[in-house]
Amino acid sequence: MISSSSSRPAVEVSPLSAESIDMIGLLSGAHHPGAGAVVLFSGEVRDNNKGRSVLGLEYEAYAPLAIRMIEEILAEARSKWSLKIAIAQHRTGKVTVGDTAVVVITASAHRSEAYAANRYIIDRIKHEAPIWKCEYYADGTKEWSENCNHQ
Amino acid sequence: MARKLRAGEDKMTIHVYAKLKDYFEPEFELEETIGNTDQLQEALVRINGGASELLSTCRFAVREGFIDNTFKLEEHDIVVIIPPSSGG
Repeated sequence: MISSSSSRPAVEVSPLSAESIDMIGLLSGAHHPGAGAVVLFSGEVRDNNKGRSVLGLEYEAYAPLAIRMIEEILAEARSKWSLKIAIAQHRTGKVTVGDTAVVVITASAHRSEAYAANRYIIDRIKHEAPIWKCEYYADGTKEWSENCNHQ
Repeated sequence: MARKLRAGEDKMTIHVYAKLKDYFEPEFELEETIGNTDQLQEALVRINGGASELLSTCRFAVREGFIDNTFKLEEHDIVVIIPPSSGG
């Protein structure tokens, strides 16, 4: 059980995962008696990018720094919006079309804070955390993305 | 000059990620004396000029913390070169 004074999930969530993200499991651990709103963002692999057919992605991270930065971003968001819960987990390794690449869950007393904090967290993770994706295309080629596209 | 990593030697070690691996080995050592990140960037461009534009957008880290050009690099440092993020 989560105590009403806690602002952390019942189970510690690693910011990086080499295995499939258990989105439902994370969500089920993100309920809090002081939270009237829970927002979940799932970044998923789509089958196309800039007109090219995409088979899947591979994520690479400089893990020590990526983990620390995501934890710092979550802590900052918890403080700024008085969140009851703030969770983020990003995949590393190969991720296929339709799979989840990153999840952010925020819970707060009211929905406006949960929405705003969720957007803030995913934007900062995408822009700042040392994580990179390589796209694998249907034509057999692959390419590292060089910049976050802010979408 | 860059060379393959050999254990037990006191040389600056460079780790690169993502697209930088199209230009460099993931890990290698530098034999020349490097004092700061500007000098490191120049040394890497001498090894592979094709990486020049990408290197100009990269950040640098030592001991899991970002550094800038005022940080004094030591011979035995392990320097991580971090291209612009593209997660999510």
